[in-house]
Amino acid sequence: MGIWPRLEFRLTAAALPWNETDRLSALQAYGILDTEPEQAFDDIVHLASRICDAPIAVVNLIDSGRQWFKAETGLGVRETPLDTSFCAHALLQDDGMVVPDATRDSRFECNPLVTGEAGLRFYAGRLLKSPDGFALGTLCVLDTRVRPEGLTPLQTETLDVLARQVMAQLELRRAIREREEGVVALSESEAQFRAIADSMPQMVWSTLPDGFHDYYNARWYEFTGTPPGSTDGEGWNDMFHPDDQARAWATWKHSLETGDLYEIEYRLRRADGVYRWTLGRATPIRNEAGQITRWFGTCTDIEDLKQSEAGKDLLSQELSHRIKNIFAVVSSLIALSAREHPEAKAFAGSVRDRINALARAHEFVRPHSEVSQPLIGDTTLHTFLSALFRPYVDASGQSRVVIEGDDATFDDQAATSVALLFHELATNAAKYGALSVPGGRVLLRTRNEGDRFILTWTERDGPAIAGKPARQGFGSALSTLSVEGQLGGKLERRWEPGGLVLEADLPATALSRRRAALKKK
Amino acid sequence: MTARILIIEDEALVAMELRFVLEDLGHEVIATAADAKTARSIAAENDIDLALVDIHLSDGPTGIDLGRELGQDMGVTVLFMTANPGMVREGVAGTIGVLSKPTDERAVQTAVDYALRRREGRPVEYAPPELQLFG
Repeated sequence: MGIWPRLEFRLTAAALPWNETDRLSALQAYGILDTEPEQAFDDIVHLASRICDAPIAVVNLIDSGRQWFKAETGLGVRETPLDTSFCAHALLQDDGMVVPDATRDSRFECNPLVTGEAGLRFYAGRLLKSPDGFALGTLCVLDTRVRPEGLTPLQTETLDVLARQVMAQLELRRAIREREEGVVALSESEAQFRAIADSMPQMVWSTLPDGFHDYYNARWYEFTGTPPGSTDGEGWNDMFHPDDQARAWATWKHSLETGDLYEIEYRLRRADGVYRWTLGRATPIRNEAGQITRWFGTCTDIEDLKQSEAGKDLLSQELSHRIKNIFAVVSSLIALSAREHPEAKAFAGSVRDRINALARAHEFVRPHSEVSQPLIGDTTLHTFLSALFRPYVDASGQSRVVIEGDDATFDDQAATSVALLFHELATNAAKYGALSVPGGRVLLRTRNEGDRFILTWTERDGPAIAGKPARQGFGSALSTLSVEGQLGGKLERRWEPGGLVLEADLPATALSRRRAALKKK
Repeated sequence: MTARILIIEDEALVAMELRFVLEDLGHEVIATAADAKTARSIAAENDIDLALVDIHLSDGPTGIDLGRELGQDMGVTVLFMTANPGMVREGVAGTIGVLSKPTDERAVQTAVDYALRRREGRPVEYAPPELQLFG
């Protein structure tokens, strides 16, 4: 505006009762600055001008350092510097400002717009306030006439309403723009999803909450060789092996009804007609109300994995069989060697017996297929012991060692100890104890007690016992070593008048230490 | 009774020891065969009373069919001896039963006695505990 002295008015941050940075951010968020004129706003300034009978009307937005006009009539420019701004002052008022005669107002009497060619005398403006309470600018009218009477009530009311309409328009524009951005973001997000899904080595699919399959990734179509769209809805079930279809349907139906994770192995038909074992998994996505809005799932080819598992199984059984054979060979070798040394016959016999006991125990722990599973049933402590004591039967074929109480399983770590312990007990009983005379019997009780497992061996109706023997035989030493060393338990022997009573007190995990260790992890 | 026995077993040491045990008991061991083919030809050319048959032979798990054939078609009394008794859990027609390896002299002796008594049609009370009977 030329050479007129500038007012020393500045909209300095320190002078303001609000945070100017926040106000400017709020203004920026509307995305209105520097946009093209729009009819809705033009209509408003024209109406304001006419009703207020003023040549100039502006929708004015106060930016940093400038005021920018979204709509104006009577000015011919779209922005002016802030330091000659009337509106900047208006911002300092609560809702608006009316200046009837600028020449008599100390704020404006030196303003170039007043003193110069523009000759402005009258100003009436209403604040444009955001819902957060920030003053973004004004809707104002200006005149070159002095108007001491100000605006009429109707004119005032009109300006009020129109100012609110300007804000309404700004909010509307903003909502539309945000929605459009949202739409773009969504479509980009979908494009990203498809890019990821199509690059994955697994098959990926998605369904509506009712289970209607409406998306498969590229891998699915490549694998099955079906035309895109042909397996939509429920067509997927036909891709499954006939024997698996019903089971897959039932599992899927269950997940749809309960929201439970979907997981199942089935055979899926490849494009070349070959069925491959596949792992299908899916999880639901829920909205804020907790309702399922979509299922996302994958199909992973596990044929190779299954074959290698089968191979491993086979190998494991092969190994087991060979181990058992080795026991047989060692046992024979000992017997054959003993023939060369007749004086060692007793020794050889006792070694052979112990080895046979070990072999029998290992029969009960090695991995079994259906075919190699021991004839007698489960691989538990009681069934093993029954087998071990089978030679000790009475005249009617009944076992002379009665086993009762809580059963247990035992693993390979415990097998040697279990075998040796009971082999020694039985052998000793047969040589010196209850099993050495016809009427003698043994009661073997096993029981769980909290975190202990207790085995009690009670001999009855054997030869009378004088008391504790003078020397401990090697067999007894072996038993003690097995229980206390290997199994970490306590062994107690009592030579009662009726017969030997032996108690082995083990930690409950002693017999299956591997499993206990695994559980801890 | 002295029996004429055929041992069918591919582990040489196990077969050798078995032979000694049987000879100690007074029986005659006609031969030892390690595979089904050899066993069949020996049985065809000799009079065999009893065959002790392992399931896994040097030509594979051929012992089961062999045992059935010897028992049903060739008049031999058959006892299986194997580390894997589960393989004959359903029993094998024409054979007596199965012993689990490793065995000991006593088990072999009592099982052989029992089998021979059955062959001769003599009464038997009950089978030795280590012998799992079929049927």
